[in-house]
Amino acid sequence: MATATIAGTSSRGAHAPRRRRFMARRSLSRLPTLAVLSVVGVIMVFPTIWIVSTAFNNNGGLATGNLLPTKPSLYNFRELLNVAQSGQPVLRWLLNSIGVSVVAAVGVAVIDSLAAFALARLHFRGSKAVFYVVVSSLMVPFIAVLLPQYLWFHWLGLLNTYGALILPYTANAFGVFLLYQFFLGVPRELQEATTVDGAGPFTMWYRLFVPLSMGITATLALLTFMGVYNDYFWPLIATSTPNMRTITVGIEIVAIGQYQTNFGALMALTVISVIPMLIVFVFAQRRLVEGVAMSGLGGV
Amino acid sequence: MKAGTGPASPGPAPSPGASSRRPRRRRLVDDLKAYAFLAPYLSVFILFTVVPVGFGIYVSLHKWSTTLGNQGFAGLSNYATLVEGKGYYGGEFYQAMWNTILFVLISVPLLWAIPTALAYAVFRSPAKTLWRILFFYPSVFSVTAFGSAWGLLLATNGGAVNAIFHTDIHWLTALPMAWISIDLATIWATMGFAFIIMYAAVTQVPRIILEAAEIDGARPFARFRYVILPLLRRASVVVVVIETIASFNLFAQDQIMTGGGPGYDTTTISMNIYNQAFSSFDIGGATAAAFLLAIILAVIAFVQLRVSRRGA
Repeated sequence: MATATIAGTSSRGAHAPRRRRFMARRSLSRLPTLAVLSVVGVIMVFPTIWIVSTAFNNNGGLATGNLLPTKPSLYNFRELLNVAQSGQPVLRWLLNSIGVSVVAAVGVAVIDSLAAFALARLHFRGSKAVFYVVVSSLMVPFIAVLLPQYLWFHWLGLLNTYGALILPYTANAFGVFLLYQFFLGVPRELQEATTVDGAGPFTMWYRLFVPLSMGITATLALLTFMGVYNDYFWPLIATSTPNMRTITVGIEIVAIGQYQTNFGALMALTVISVIPMLIVFVFAQRRLVEGVAMSGLGGV
Repeated sequence: MKAGTGPASPGPAPSPGASSRRPRRRRLVDDLKAYAFLAPYLSVFILFTVVPVGFGIYVSLHKWSTTLGNQGFAGLSNYATLVEGKGYYGGEFYQAMWNTILFVLISVPLLWAIPTALAYAVFRSPAKTLWRILFFYPSVFSVTAFGSAWGLLLATNGGAVNAIFHTDIHWLTALPMAWISIDLATIWATMGFAFIIMYAAVTQVPRIILEAAEIDGARPFARFRYVILPLLRRASVVVVVIETIASFNLFAQDQIMTGGGPGYDTTTISMNIYNQAFSSFDIGGATAAAFLLAIILAVIAFVQLRVSRRGA
């Protein structure tokens, strides 16, 4: 963005006419680009419009090729949310997902911030070893951890509890790495000012580093929320009773279960499942995009 | 991008007043304080990652039933069965592995090329925020949500796509369409992540270099191919490594859309492992398979990083 502004100011210089010719040619050459983007854009939007339209269409559960409901109605939602009828505690699934994701996101934010602060700003023996352990744990593929975790929680007798749904997410190496990078960039002078005041490390973390890192910590919490909310494999094997399922697992139960042929109800469930994520997305779109961009660039 | 500018050398910055001549007791107190900060992270990490993986290694060396538990020491036979391709799951391990590699070979290049092309297109286009939202928003769908939606969109009978085009294509029940459908759904739903990374990288390309190329008469495609693309190397490596690992883990959308069919043709290694653990209740063998996959993945990621560094 900064470079764009600099280029913009220079165009008002001596080469203005030549620049203008460039700009004109440039907007013409943009036409094919725009055409391609529009085609892809339509492909991106089409499934969602169809999902929403099918969810709100009372068509005996059958799908149509129409992009607008032929018989607009809330019938699918009413049928789905009526536990007695559907046999599926859909609202419970939704609340499970939201609760688990919120707790995990807050937990990750606090735990990772503490750890990252120690690694980036405190001087202690073994810091290098801890750092390498954290970073190398980023490389372990999830499948190698998943079954062992299942066995371990089985052994602990914690399967099918909220503890099982939350605890494995709370040590997030990626978050430690993200905050570590940020804390390294905090000017030394700020830290020295608090040290002169005689503050211990906890006060320093709480009074200085937490407020400074609010933005990036919030991004980490949001990414964690999205990751946990949309996670599928772990809640699938860690839970076994209908009341403990999350919405993501619930969709699969409904999709390959009794509603296999009821397109309307299944799409209604999909729409319901997306609502919390959509709220997060609408309010934090820019922050999420920046977070993903930063995570990728900082990752290697 | 602050994260990218961090110093390459790990390890802590020396805190003020931390000299090597501190009294021994003072130094111990400082160490303890630092570990108090790390305690929550390390205890969760050890309790729910390190210990389970250690336990998993133990289980993989036993005949271990998902429901009945330990059935006796088995040595390396769980691994040997898989490698030799013996037994029901041993034989299918190779088939599932090949299916997964096929998916990776198709999806990873596409999940790099399409987001990269789109990133450059958006960079050159007005209304950047609109495009950014349009290409990223499917990330709000969970894997089961977009899997079931695409399963219905592409259903042979009553599916929206066949209805709109008045076709009778077996999108999900015949090869090669089943793979194409899974790829299509996966790209639609997950490319936003790669797109954002590539877009961020494209915007980092110095404007002056681009304008120099433009004034020299380089066409947009030439500018992309010879100016921008070489500068996207680092971001590309990130995307390729992330997408390779993600594609190797293909599970839910596949399960929902095709159920691994037709026959066994779209059954992936994750599905194979899952079935072994929770349909045949042989979690000892399944854990061995998971570790074998983990080793293969680690080797591939290592090679990818190595190759990309050597070429740089």
